[in-house]
Amino acid sequence: MYNIIGQRKYFYIFSGILIILSVISLSTWGLKYGIDFTGGTLMEVKGEKTKVESGELKNSLKEIGIEDAVITPAQNGSFLIRYGNSDDEKNKAVLEKLKEKYPEIKNTRLDYIGPSISSELKRKAVWALGIAIVGIALYIAYAFRKVSRPVESWKYGVGAVVALVHDILITVGIFSALGHFLNVEVDTTFIAALLTILGFSVHDTIVVYDRTRENLLRGSSKEEFSETVNRSLNETMARSINTSLTVIITLLAVFIFGGETIKNFTLALLIGITFGTYSSIFVASALMVDWWKWEKTKN
Amino acid sequence: MSIRRKIWVKFFLVVLLFALAALIASPKPLPRPAWLGNFLAKMKINLGLDLQGGIHLIYKVDTGAVESGKVADALTGLQDVIERRVNAFGVAEPLIETSKSGGEQRLIVELAGVKDIEKAKEMIKETPFLEFKKVEEQAPPAEIPPLSEEDQRYNGEQKKKAEDLLAQTKGGADFSELAKQNSEDPGSKEQGGDLGFVKKGTFVPEFDKVLFDSNLQPGQIYPQIVETQFGYHIIKLLETRGEGDNLETHAQHILLAIKVPPPVQQQPIFIDTGLTGKNLKNTAPVPDPQTGKWQVSFELDSEGTKIFSDLTKENIGKNIAILLDGRVLSAPTVQSHIADGKAVITGDFTPQEAKDLSRRINEGALPMPISLIGQESIGAPFAHSELVRSLKAGAIGIVLVMIFMIFYYRFLGLVASMALLMYTSFMVALFKMSAGTPWSVTLTLAGIAGFILSVGMAVDANILIFERTKEEIRKGRSLKGAIDEGFHRAWPSIRDSNISTMITSLILIWFGTGFVKGFAVTLLLGVLVSMFTAIILVRTILTAIIGDWAEERKNFIIAGNKRNNFNNGEDKIDI
Repeated sequence: MYNIIGQRKYFYIFSGILIILSVISLSTWGLKYGIDFTGGTLMEVKGEKTKVESGELKNSLKEIGIEDAVITPAQNGSFLIRYGNSDDEKNKAVLEKLKEKYPEIKNTRLDYIGPSISSELKRKAVWALGIAIVGIALYIAYAFRKVSRPVESWKYGVGAVVALVHDILITVGIFSALGHFLNVEVDTTFIAALLTILGFSVHDTIVVYDRTRENLLRGSSKEEFSETVNRSLNETMARSINTSLTVIITLLAVFIFGGETIKNFTLALLIGITFGTYSSIFVASALMVDWWKWEKTKN
Repeated sequence: MSIRRKIWVKFFLVVLLFALAALIASPKPLPRPAWLGNFLAKMKINLGLDLQGGIHLIYKVDTGAVESGKVADALTGLQDVIERRVNAFGVAEPLIETSKSGGEQRLIVELAGVKDIEKAKEMIKETPFLEFKKVEEQAPPAEIPPLSEEDQRYNGEQKKKAEDLLAQTKGGADFSELAKQNSEDPGSKEQGGDLGFVKKGTFVPEFDKVLFDSNLQPGQIYPQIVETQFGYHIIKLLETRGEGDNLETHAQHILLAIKVPPPVQQQPIFIDTGLTGKNLKNTAPVPDPQTGKWQVSFELDSEGTKIFSDLTKENIGKNIAILLDGRVLSAPTVQSHIADGKAVITGDFTPQEAKDLSRRINEGALPMPISLIGQESIGAPFAHSELVRSLKAGAIGIVLVMIFMIFYYRFLGLVASMALLMYTSFMVALFKMSAGTPWSVTLTLAGIAGFILSVGMAVDANILIFERTKEEIRKGRSLKGAIDEGFHRAWPSIRDSNISTMITSLILIWFGTGFVKGFAVTLLLGVLVSMFTAIILVRTILTAIIGDWAEERKNFIIAGNKRNNFNNGEDKIDI
C-alpha cells in the first residue's frame, strides 16, 4: 500500500508551484487568441522550392495596406500568414500579391473570420463554458446527493470543484506559456478541449470519492478517516491510471502521427487529462483529509 | 429453451452482428455476391471539407431592402438561385443553408472538392448574368472532326467488300440477287437495287456523273466503285429514255455504307449588345390579348430603352437571344421597332413556362445583397494528407490500446480487444449507413480525433469491470462469480463516467462550429456505441465461453489474482 495521504504535502507543493506559475504566466503574457476570437485571416501557403523571407514578405504585404501580418514558418516548407482586420477584398489582394511575388507558391488553407463571427464565437465560448460549469455542478450535486459521514457530501463536491479548477488552471497556464514562447494559439478547439477535460477530470475525482464513501460505510470503526481514504486511493489507483493511460495512449498516437490541424487540440487534451488523473489521485482526496482534520481540531 | 442454449443464441447473434458490421465497414471489398458488393460500394462515409478539400463560406445577408414579412420568402429565393448557380459549377451535393445569429441573417455555402476557390466565390456572389444578344445567322463552318480509327478501319473493310462484289458481278453473278443480299440502301435493297427512272440532278453529283456523263451503255456495270457521301456504290445502268433535258435513266445499285463524321451543327453567333439584366425593371407572365398565348413582358430602364430601341430598329425580322449565364433562354424574332422599352418575349410557352421564365429573368439580381464575412478553405491535397495521417494515427492508437489491454488483462483483455474491433466496425458502419439519410453524420478531422479519443474511452468500461473482477477474485470468489460481480459493481461508475462525457458532448454540439461539432458528435456517438460493445457484447461473449475450464486458469484469464501489494491492508501506515 502506498502512503499517498502521508506524502500529501509534497503534492500540495508541486500543485501549488504549478498553479502559481500558471497565474503568473496568465497575468503577464495572457493567452494568444487565434482568429476565431480576434477575427482576421489565417492562411497557409506552401512552396516546393521557393524560399520565403518573412521580412521581405511582410514588406510587400505592407504595400497593400496590411501592417500587422505575422508570418511563421510551419512544417514541410509551408508557412502561415496571419493578419487581423481583414475582409474578402484584402484576402484576394494578398493572394494576388503572393502569386506575383512567388509564382510557384500554393495556398493550401485559408480561414477568414469576420468581426461578427468572431464576436459570436467569443460569446458562444463563454456560454459553453458557463453551461458546462453549471452542468458539471449539477452532476456533482447529483453524485453526492447521499448523506455521508464523517465528512458531509457537499464537501466532496467542493473538493471535486477545487480539483477541476486546478486542472483547468494548469492547462490554461501551460497554453499561456506555449503561446508566449511557441506562438501556440487559443481558439474554439481549445474551448472544446477544456470542456472535454472538465468532464474527464470531475468524473475521475468522483470515482475515487465514491470508493472512499463506500469503504466508510462498510469499514470498521477503528480505521481513521485518513486511513480509509488512503486505502480507497490504493484500491482505485490501478483503475484511475489504466483508464487514463488508454486515453493518453490514443491521444499520443494522434499527437505524434495525426494531422497538423488537430495537434494543439490533442496537446490541450493530453495536458488536461494527465493533470486530471494526477489531481484525482494525489490532490482531491488529500483535501478531504485536511478539511476533516481542520474541523476536528476546531471542535 | 435452456439457459445454456439462450446464451449460445445470444453469442451467435453477437457474431452475426459483428460480421454484418465488418462487412459494411470494410474498406476493401471482401468476397461477397456481386449485388451485395454493389450495394455496399455505394455506401460511403460523408467526408467533411477538412478531409476532402473545399470551401465553407459564410455570407451576411442584407435584408434591409426587403419587407420584414417577406424575408423568409426572399431567403428561400436566394437559396434557390445560389443552388442553381452552384449546380452549374458542377459541385456535387452542395450545402446551402441560412441561419440567424443575433440580428444577423446569414447564408452558409459549403462546396466540397472545389479546386478554383476564387472562381467559385465569384460564381456565387456575382449577379446571374442576363444578356440580350444579336443572333448572327451564318456561322463559319467549323472544322470537320476526323474519323476515329475504328471507323476508318470499318470504311476500309466496306471498300474491300465493294471491290469484291464488283468482281463477282464481272464474273457473271446476278446483280439483283447480290443487291438483295448485300446492299445497305434500305430504300432500294428489296427491289434488287432498282432506283427507277430519274432525271439528272436527283442524285448526288458523283452518282449523276456515272449515270449521265460517263458513256455507260444500258446493261453495263460501271467498271469502278463509286464513292459518295453515303458509301461505295456499284452501279448498273438498265435503260434510258428521253432526250436532252428530259433524259431519264433507270439504274440499279449496291450500296456499302460508310461511317461519316457527325454533321457539323451550325451554331449561331451571338453578338453583345450591351443590354443586360441590370437594365431590366420588371417582368411578368402575361397572356397575349389576341391569341391567348402566354408570353413574358418586361420593362427596361432608360439606358436599356435606348439600346433596345436602336437594336430593334436595326434588326427587324432577325432574332435577339436572351441568355442567362450564357445559356439561351429564348430567341424571339424582332417584329417591330420598340422605342418605349416595353416588350414581350413570345414563344410557345405554357402558362407554367411563362411564369418560370419570368421568374428566372427577375432573378437577374440576387434577391438580397450578400457579403462574405467568413471563409474556410482547404486545399484537396492538404486535406487528403490530413485524412491519411489521422487514419494512420487512429490505427496505431487502436493497436496500442489492444496491446496494453492484452498485456495487462490477458484473456479478458483479448475479449475487450475484440470488443474494441467490433466497436470500430460499428462506428464505421454507422458512419456509412447514415450517409444519405437525414441523420447523416459527416466525418471531419475533429471527428476522427473524437473517434480516436473514444477508443481510449471505450475500453474504460472494460478496465472498470476487470479491475473489479480482480478484486472479487482476490476476495476468493469463483472466476464466474467475480466476473458477474465485476459487471454488476462497475456499472454505476461506467454510467456516471459516460454521463459526464455526454453532458460535455451535448454542450459542445450546441456550441457547434464545424470543428467542435464534428468532435462532439463522434464523441457522443462513441460513448453510446462503446457502452453497448464494452458491456453487453463483452458480457455475452464471456458468459458463453467462460466455463469450468477457466476456473483452474484464472491467471491466464485475468492476471493478478495473486494478492496485490496495493491492497493487503496489513501494513500499518502513519498518516
